[in-house]
Amino acid sequence: MATSGSIYITPVSIDELDDVSTAELSADQQFLQKAMQILFTEGVIKAGDRRTKVVEYLDPHVLKETFDLEIKEKGVGTDKLLQLLKDTLKYSVRSANPRFFNQLYAGQDAYGLVGQWMTDTINASMSNYEISPVFNLMEVEILKILSDIVGYEKSDGIFCPGGSIANMYGISMARYHKYGEAIKTDGLSGLPRLILFTSKHAHYSISKGAAFMGFGTKNVYTVEVDERGRMIPEDLEKQIELAKQQGHVPLFVSATCGTTVYGAYDPVDAIADLCEKHDIWLHVDACWGASALMSQKWRHLLHGVNRSNSVAWCPHKMMGVPFQCSAFLVRDHIALMHNVHCSGATYLFQQDKFYDLSYDTGDKVIQSARKVDAFKLWLMFKAKGYIGFEQEINIKFANSRHLAKTIEEREGFQLVVEPTCTNVCFWYIPPCLRNMNKDSNEFNTLLGKVAPIVKERMLKGGTLMIGYQPLDDKPNFFRQIFSNAKTTFQDVEFIVDEIDRLGDDITISDLGKNK
Amino acid sequence: MSVLLCRLLLNVPSAVPQRVCSQLLSLRVKNTVNLVKYTVLTRQIMTQSQRIINDSVYSKPVGIGDVENVEMMPELSIDKQFLKDAMKIVFTEGVVKAGDRKTKVVEYLEPDELRDVFDFKIRDEAETSETLLKLLKDTYKYSVLPANPRFYNQLFSGQDVYGLVGQWATDSFNSSAYTYEVAPVFVLMEHEVIKRLRETIGYTNGDGVFCPGGSIANMYGINLARFKKYGSEIKSKGLYGLPRLIIYTSEHSHYSVKKGAAFMGFGTDSVYLVKCDERGRMIPEDLERQIELAKSQGHVPFFVNATSGTTVFGAFDPLNKLADICEQHDMWLHVDACWGGSSVMSRKWRHLLDGVERSNSLAWCQHKMMGVPLQCSAFLLRDNVGLMHNAHCAGATYLFQQDKFYDMSYDTGDKVIQCGRKVDAFKLWLMFKAKGNLGFEEEINIKFANSRHFAEKIKESDGFKLVVEPTCTNVCFWYIPPCLRSMNTNTDEFNAWLGKVAPVIKERMVKQGTLMIGYQPLFGKPNFFRHIFSNAKTTFQDVEYILDEIDRLGNDLTLSDLSKVKSPNEE
Repeated sequence: MATSGSIYITPVSIDELDDVSTAELSADQQFLQKAMQILFTEGVIKAGDRRTKVVEYLDPHVLKETFDLEIKEKGVGTDKLLQLLKDTLKYSVRSANPRFFNQLYAGQDAYGLVGQWMTDTINASMSNYEISPVFNLMEVEILKILSDIVGYEKSDGIFCPGGSIANMYGISMARYHKYGEAIKTDGLSGLPRLILFTSKHAHYSISKGAAFMGFGTKNVYTVEVDERGRMIPEDLEKQIELAKQQGHVPLFVSATCGTTVYGAYDPVDAIADLCEKHDIWLHVDACWGASALMSQKWRHLLHGVNRSNSVAWCPHKMMGVPFQCSAFLVRDHIALMHNVHCSGATYLFQQDKFYDLSYDTGDKVIQSARKVDAFKLWLMFKAKGYIGFEQEINIKFANSRHLAKTIEEREGFQLVVEPTCTNVCFWYIPPCLRNMNKDSNEFNTLLGKVAPIVKERMLKGGTLMIGYQPLDDKPNFFRQIFSNAKTTFQDVEFIVDEIDRLGDDITISDLGKNK
Repeated sequence: MSVLLCRLLLNVPSAVPQRVCSQLLSLRVKNTVNLVKYTVLTRQIMTQSQRIINDSVYSKPVGIGDVENVEMMPELSIDKQFLKDAMKIVFTEGVVKAGDRKTKVVEYLEPDELRDVFDFKIRDEAETSETLLKLLKDTYKYSVLPANPRFYNQLFSGQDVYGLVGQWATDSFNSSAYTYEVAPVFVLMEHEVIKRLRETIGYTNGDGVFCPGGSIANMYGINLARFKKYGSEIKSKGLYGLPRLIIYTSEHSHYSVKKGAAFMGFGTDSVYLVKCDERGRMIPEDLERQIELAKSQGHVPFFVNATSGTTVFGAFDPLNKLADICEQHDMWLHVDACWGGSSVMSRKWRHLLDGVERSNSLAWCQHKMMGVPLQCSAFLLRDNVGLMHNAHCAGATYLFQQDKFYDMSYDTGDKVIQCGRKVDAFKLWLMFKAKGNLGFEEEINIKFANSRHFAEKIKESDGFKLVVEPTCTNVCFWYIPPCLRSMNTNTDEFNAWLGKVAPVIKERMVKQGTLMIGYQPLFGKPNFFRHIFSNAKTTFQDVEYILDEIDRLGNDLTLSDLSKVKSPNEE
C-alpha cells in the first residue's frame, strides 16, 4: 500500500503522554507536550478552583506594558513561548471559576472541552460529508435531538456562529417564505416596508440584523412588556394593525424565551395565535432560555414553542457547552434553508460525487467554511445523557431561587424583579443610602452609582464577577446569571456576603465622584 | 514621588515604566491627597480579597503546578480524570498520528456503514468513561485528517502546534471577545494582531476585526460600503425606495458575494459578474463597460469586489487598475483576499497584490495559507476609524456600560453583527510570536515553491496536463488515463470522457486514503483536479508522490469504468 510504503516513517507508539521518548517527537511536538501540561494545570485545574482569582485585573495601560504583546521579525524560543502562555492564562478572566457570573455563559465542562480540543486537532470544516464524515452525521443526530426537544415533528437546522446570526437566519427564512425566489434575486428595494416585531426587552441582534439585512432599524417595531419583562400580546396586535394601516407588511415576530437582563419568557402560545391569525412568521429567540426545555420541571416556561416556525438556541449558554454552539432550527420546511441560501458552487458541491449528496449541508448557510460545533455537544450528551443535563439545569435554577430568597432576607439587598429564568436582578443598597427616601430621585441617582463602584472593587479583588446595567428607568442593578453547574448554595451565599464586604464602606462622597 | 507611591501602594509590577504609572494616575486621581486615599483603599481591598480567596471554605492552598493534589478531594474528580485520559488520546491520535504520512488521510465509509460501526445515538443515561474514550478514538479513526501532509482537498490544511496551543488555551478559557472586562488579554492581542495585519497590507490607519469566516468578512465590506454611501439613513430606513445598488465581482470570484447580496437585501440580480481573462483575472475594461451599463439602466454602482486568489484558479485581479476605476466612479473597492492575502507575508510574492493598499477594505483568512486553525478570518478597513462601530453598533447597556471604570475604547464588541464572538486572535498571535514575520515568510515561500515544482513535474509527465499556469499555490490539472491518450483531444467526445476521470480517481483515493485532492468543472472545462498547497510540511518528495499516486490510481481506467460515472446533468 502506498501509505505504508511511505519514506517518512518512524513508527511511534504512545501509551502515556509522559512516556513518549522525546527523541521520537519533533521539536514542535515537544513544545505541544509541555504546553498541554500548562493548559491542564493552569487552564483546567486552577482555572476552575475557587482559590484562584476570577481575574488578575490590570488596567489596559498597565497590562500592555506588563505583557509582551509586540510581534517582531523573528520568533521567540520555546521557553519564552511557554512563559507567554502562562501569562496569558494568568491575566485572562477565568470563566471556569464557579464565582464567575458575568455573562450568560460560565463554567468549564471537561467533556465539552475534550470535544472542542479534538475538533481543533482535526480542524475540519462542516461543508460536506467528504471532509467531515463523522461530524456531519453527528450534526444531523444532534439537530434531530434538539428539534425533538423543542417539539418540532419535521425540521431542518444548522449550527451558527452565535445566536445573533441564528436570529438573522430566522428573519431570512421569513422573508423567503413570503416572497420566494424573487426576494433572493431582486432584493428589497422595490417592496413595501416589511416590519419585524420584537419586545422592548429583546436582544439587540434583531435590530442589528434588520440593519445588516437591509430592512432598517426603524422597521423593527418594539412591543411593550409587562412588569416581569414579558411581551404584551395585546400591544403586539395593536402594532400589527398599526403597521397595516401605514401600508407596511408585517413579516416577522421574534418572541424571546429568556430575555438578556430579566430572563423573561414571552407568552409564546398567545403570540403564536396572533401570528397564525395574521399570517406572520414566528421566530423564538430562545438563545438563553431554551435550555430550560431539558428539564421536566422547567420546560413549561417555553409552553407553545413547538408552534413557532423557527427557533434559535445556544447550548453554549445554560448547557455549558464551550463557546460557541448555537443552533438554528426551522419547523416543517425541510428544503427552505437550502433554497434561501444556496449558490451551488461546483468546487464543493459536485453533483457527480459518489455518495449520497444529502449529507452535504454546506450550501444551507451563508458561510462557506464553518467550524464544527456539533461534536462537543454530542460528546456532552453521551457523557451525561438527557438525565445528566436535566440535573444540571435543575441545579442552576435552584441556585437562582436560593439567591432570590437570600436577597429577600438580607438587609441592604433588594430584588428588581422575581426571577423567571436563572437571572437574578438585584440592587445592593450600601448603609449610607439605607435611610434615604427610596422614592426620591436623589436616591435613585445615587443607587445607580453603587454597582459600578462595587464592580470595580470586585474586579480588582478578583473574588467575583457579576454584570450590571440600567434598564428602562431603573438605575444600575446587578444581573446575576447562574449557568455553571458547579456553583453551590455556599457560593450563592458567598455572593451576598462578598458584595456586602466590598460595598458597605461606600460613602455618599464616593458615589458623588463617579460619573 | 507620586509615581513611587503608586508603585508601592498599588503593587504595580516593576516592569511597568514610570510614564505608565503617571498616565494611570493622571487618569484616576487629581491630587496627592486623593491619590493616597485611592491607593490605600485599593490596596486594602486587594489584600482583603486575597485573604478571602485563601480562606475559601473549600480547601487548603496548593502549590502551582501541583496537578495531582489539587481540588477538594484527594484524587481528580471523574471528569478531570477523563480529561487527562482524553488528552493522551488527543496527543497520540490527533497530533502525532494525524500528522504522520503513514496514517491514512481518511478511513472512508459510506454514511450508512459509518452509522453501523459508530454509536451516534444519545440516550437518557450517561455512557461510561471507557465507552467515551473508545468513541474519541473512533472519531479520529473515521475523520478526515487535514493534518496529514497529503491532504490537499481544501484551501486549509496542516496542523500548526503553536496555533493549536493557542486555540486550546482559548477554548479552556472560553472567552468571548466583546469587552476588555471579560477578555482583557485577548482584546489587546486582537488590537496588536489586527494592527500588524493592517500594516502588512499597507493600510496606515484604520480598523478591523476577526469574523466567523471569510464569507462574513466579505459581507462586512458590502455593508460598510453601503453605510459610507448613505450614512445612518440606510441603517435606520433600509433599502426601501432606493434605486438598485449594484455590486461587481468577477465570474471566477467566490460565491459569498452573491450569498451576501441575497442575505443583505440587495438581491443576487444586483450582482454583476465581470468577465475574466484566460488566467481567471477580472478584465478592467469589462468592469467599466458594466458600470456604464448599470448607470444607463438607472441603477447605482457602489461596490467592487476584487479577488486576490480565486478559489479554483488562484488568480489575482489587477488591483491598481480596479482602484483607478473605483476612484473615478466613486465606488468602494473591497478585496476578497481570503485565500491569496497571505502572499503579502512574503517579499517574493507580495507583488501579486500590488495596489492592495489603495483598496477600502479587505478580507483575509489566516486559517488558509498561513495554517492557523479554523477559523481565523480578518476583516480590515482602511482609514475610517469609526465606520465599523457606527455601521453596526446597537449600544446594549448590559455589555457596554458607559460608567465603566476603564477606557472603553477597548470594548470592541459593538463593532460587529455578532454578540458573543469566539476569540480568534490568540492563536494567530502565538504563531506570530513563535515564528516571527520571517518564519511565516519562509513557510509561504515553501508553499509557492511546491506549487511551481508541481507544475513543472506535470509538464514533464505523460498523461498530465495543466489547465492554467499557476499564480497562487493552486495547481489545476487533468489526468488523462492511457485509455484516452490516443483520442483527438479537440473533440466533445474526448472532453465528455475526460470529465469522468476525476470523479473515479477521487472515489478511489478517498477509499484507499492515500491522498485527498478536490476537483470541479469550470466554465466549459471538464472536471479537473485543483491541487492546493497550504501545508508547510509538504515536501518536494510529497509533490512527486502525488503524480505517482494519481497515475497508480488511474492508469487501469477503461472506457467502461468511465461510462459508469453519472454526468452532472443526468438525473
